[in-house]
Amino acid sequence: MLSRVADSLYWMGRYMERSDGILRMLKVNYAYSQDDVYEFSWKPVLKLFTYLDNEQASALAKSPRAILKYVVTDKENPNAVVNIVARARENARSVQDHITKELWQCLNDYYHTTKEDWLAQWLQKDDPITILDVLIKQGLLYYGTADITMSRGEGYSFMNIGKYLERAILSADILSVRFTEGDYDINADTDPNYWRYLLLSISGYELYLKTYRSGFEARNVVEQVVLNPHFPRSIIYSLERLQRYFSGIKNENTPGDFDELEFMIGKLLSRIKYSRAETLIQQNLFQFLSEAKNDMYEIANCLTRHYFAYT
Amino acid sequence: MQTSGLLNTYFVDPHTWDEMYDQDRIREQYRHVVNYMQQLSLEELNRKEELARRLFMSQGITFTVYNSGEGIEKIFPFDIIPRIITAAEWSHIEKGIKQRLKALNLFLKDVYHNQFILKDGVVPIDMIYSCPHYLREMYQFPVPYDIYVHIAGIDLIRDADGSFYILEDNLRTPSGVSYMLENREITKRIFPDLLPLNNVRGVSQYPNILHNNLVSLSPRQISNPTIVLLTPGVYNSAYFEHSTLARLMGVELVEGRDLVVDNHRVYMKTTKGLQQVDVIYRRVDDDFLDPLTFNPNSVLGVSGIMSAYRKGNVAIVNAVGNGVADDKAIYCYVPAMIRYYLNEEPILKNVPTYRLDNPDHRDYVFKNITNMVVKKTNESGGYGMLMGNAATEEEIINYQAQIVNDPRQFIAQPVISLSSAPCYMQGKLQPRRVDLRPYALCGPNGIEIVPGGLTRVALREGSLVVNSSQGGGSKDTWVLEG
Repeated sequence: MLSRVADSLYWMGRYMERSDGILRMLKVNYAYSQDDVYEFSWKPVLKLFTYLDNEQASALAKSPRAILKYVVTDKENPNAVVNIVARARENARSVQDHITKELWQCLNDYYHTTKEDWLAQWLQKDDPITILDVLIKQGLLYYGTADITMSRGEGYSFMNIGKYLERAILSADILSVRFTEGDYDINADTDPNYWRYLLLSISGYELYLKTYRSGFEARNVVEQVVLNPHFPRSIIYSLERLQRYFSGIKNENTPGDFDELEFMIGKLLSRIKYSRAETLIQQNLFQFLSEAKNDMYEIANCLTRHYFAYT
Repeated sequence: MQTSGLLNTYFVDPHTWDEMYDQDRIREQYRHVVNYMQQLSLEELNRKEELARRLFMSQGITFTVYNSGEGIEKIFPFDIIPRIITAAEWSHIEKGIKQRLKALNLFLKDVYHNQFILKDGVVPIDMIYSCPHYLREMYQFPVPYDIYVHIAGIDLIRDADGSFYILEDNLRTPSGVSYMLENREITKRIFPDLLPLNNVRGVSQYPNILHNNLVSLSPRQISNPTIVLLTPGVYNSAYFEHSTLARLMGVELVEGRDLVVDNHRVYMKTTKGLQQVDVIYRRVDDDFLDPLTFNPNSVLGVSGIMSAYRKGNVAIVNAVGNGVADDKAIYCYVPAMIRYYLNEEPILKNVPTYRLDNPDHRDYVFKNITNMVVKKTNESGGYGMLMGNAATEEEIINYQAQIVNDPRQFIAQPVISLSSAPCYMQGKLQPRRVDLRPYALCGPNGIEIVPGGLTRVALREGSLVVNSSQGGGSKDTWVLEG
C-alpha cells in the first residue's frame, strides 16, 4: 500500500473518531446544563475541544447556543465538527480506490449533511439534541459501513490504528480535564453529577451501574475508564485494539520499523495493565495520564516516521 | 392520468438536424423513450431530475470550485433524456474512427522516426517544427507495439443534413469517460426497465478492456505487473474520473510525490518499501511529466521518469509527444494521412478548415468572419475561441490583430449548425445542440470502441459551444443493438 494512502486512511480514522467523541460530549453536556444550572460548567468541554484561551472560554461559557455553534458549525474554528468531518472526507476522497464505494458515499453524505443550512439554524433555535443525534447517527452509519464492507487488509488496519489511538487519547483527555482546574483534589470530590455525565458522555454509565451498583466514587470511575478491558472506550481496551491492528501490518520487508513500534505499544500497554486504580490515584493520576498521553503522541510520531513518510 | 403534454412545446429549428424529430415524425429509435415520458406527469419528471442530482452529489461525482478559500461542490450538469444512436449510425462511426486512429498512430510513428510523410511533402515540414507539442525527446524512440495513442476521445458533430463530421482529435489525455459510465448508472435508476426494452448496448466493459491493454504493455514479462494511474491530485477538476477509473480497474491511484526514479526504474513508495512500477496511465500533461526534461517548475510529475521511459523500463500511456497529431493545424492533414498511409478514402469527413498562415485562406476568412469559428491551434476546452456569428465588432478587430501577429496559431472553420437533441429543462422539453465523443482504445490486438460515449450538450438556448468549461452538460448516450 502507498504510504500516502496509509496516511490518509489513518487520519480518516482519527478524524471520524474525534468527531464522534466531540458530538457525544456535547450532547451529554447540553443535557447536563439543563439539569444542574449551578454546578455545571462548559469550561471542561471548551478546554478539551477548542484552542480558546481562558478568557475567551469564560466569555463563551455563558451561552450554550454560542458554544454549540462554535464547536459544531463554526468554520472559523479549526476543531469544529464541520471542519473535522470535512478533513475526514478529504482524506477519504484521495483514497477512494482503497475504501469501498459504500463507505465513500456514506462519508460524503455525512459531509454534505454538515453543510446544510437547516442544521446550523436548528442548532440555534430548536432542540439541539435532535440535531446532534442526526450527526451522531451519520457517524454510526460510517462505523457500520466500514465494518460490513471493508476488506480486512492493510488499509483496514491503518484505519483502525487511527481510530483506537484517537480514542485512547480522547479518553485520557476526558478523564484528566478536571485536574487542570488548579487545586482540584480527587479524594475530596463529592460531585456525583460530574462523574455521572462524564460516564454518560462516553456511553459508560450503564456499565458503571452494573459493575459497582453503589454511588459515584472517583476510584471506580478511574478503574472503569482506564482499566476495564470490557469497556470499549477505556484506555486499556483502545490500546489492546491498537496493538491487535498494528500486529496485522507486520511484514518481512521492514522488521526494524515494526519492532520499534511494537515495543512502544507493548510497553505502554503493560504499564497500564499492571496498575490499580488506588495506586494511580495515590501516585498522582494527572501525571500518570499526562505521561500516557505523551507515549501515545510518540507512537503517532513513530508511525508517521516509519510508515507514512513519503515526501 | 394527467400527462405532461411534453411534445407540445418542442420546436425544432428547421435548418438543424434533430436527433428525435424527422420533420413532424418521431424517429423510430426515440419511440419508446417518448412513450415512456409521455406517461409521466411533470411532478414525476421533476422528481427524476432531482433523483439524478442527488445521486451525483452523494457519489461525489462533482468538481470543486475554489472560491474565497472554501470549496464549493458542483455537479457537471446532466440531462435525464438519453441521446440515442442507431446501429447503422454507430457502425459508420466505428469504422470511421478506427480508420482515423490507425492513420494517426502511423503518423506519430513516422513523424518521430523516418518522416516519410514530410519528405514526400504531404505534410509541410514547418507545420511539424513550429508545433510546440512536437517533442524532440521522442525522436527515434521506439514505443511498445508502435502504439502512441492508446486512448482517443475523438469529437464528432452532425451537420444539418445529418452527416457526421470529425470536429477534433483528442489524443493526449482525453477525459470524460467516467461520465459515460456514471451517466449510464444514473439512467438505470431514473428510467428503470427502459434500457432492456430498447436493446441498448452496454458500456461497462470499458475499464476491463483498458486494463487488459495496460497489462499487455508491461516491459517486465511477469504475471502481475504493477499498473498505476498518475493523477495531478485532488484539486484537479477530473479527480473524480481518475479515482473512478483506478477503482474500476483495481489499480493504484498515485500522485507524482508517490513515485521515485532510481537507476532508470520507477518505484512507488509503499508501507512495505519501494515497489517497481511497470505501466503508468498518466493523466498529467506532457509538459508537467518530468521536471528534469520538460517544465522545471512542475511538482506534479516525477523527476527522471523520461529516462526510465526511454530505457524501456516503464510504459507510459498515452505516449509522450502525441500533441503533434491533435494540433488543430495538423487536423487539416488527417484526411491526407489516411490516403497516404492506408490508401483509403476517409470514412468520416473533416470540417472544412482554413489555415490562417495561408494568405488566400486568411483573406477569405476575414471577409466571411461572421460565418466562421476561429480557434487557437494549441488550446482546448473551448478556450481562446472566436464565434464569428456571436462576437462584437470590437472583439473581431482585436482577434484579427492577434491572428495577423502569429497566423500559425490559428485556424478557422465555418460555423456548423450542430444537431439538436431533446433536453428536459425548466419543466419543458427543449432542443439543445449536442456533440459526441466516443472513446477508442488501441492495444496490441487492435482498436476497440465501446458502444456509447459522452454526449455533451450546450445548455444555453441557441449556443453552439458544448465544452463543460463553457457551461456545457452531458447526456447518457445509447447505442442500439442492430
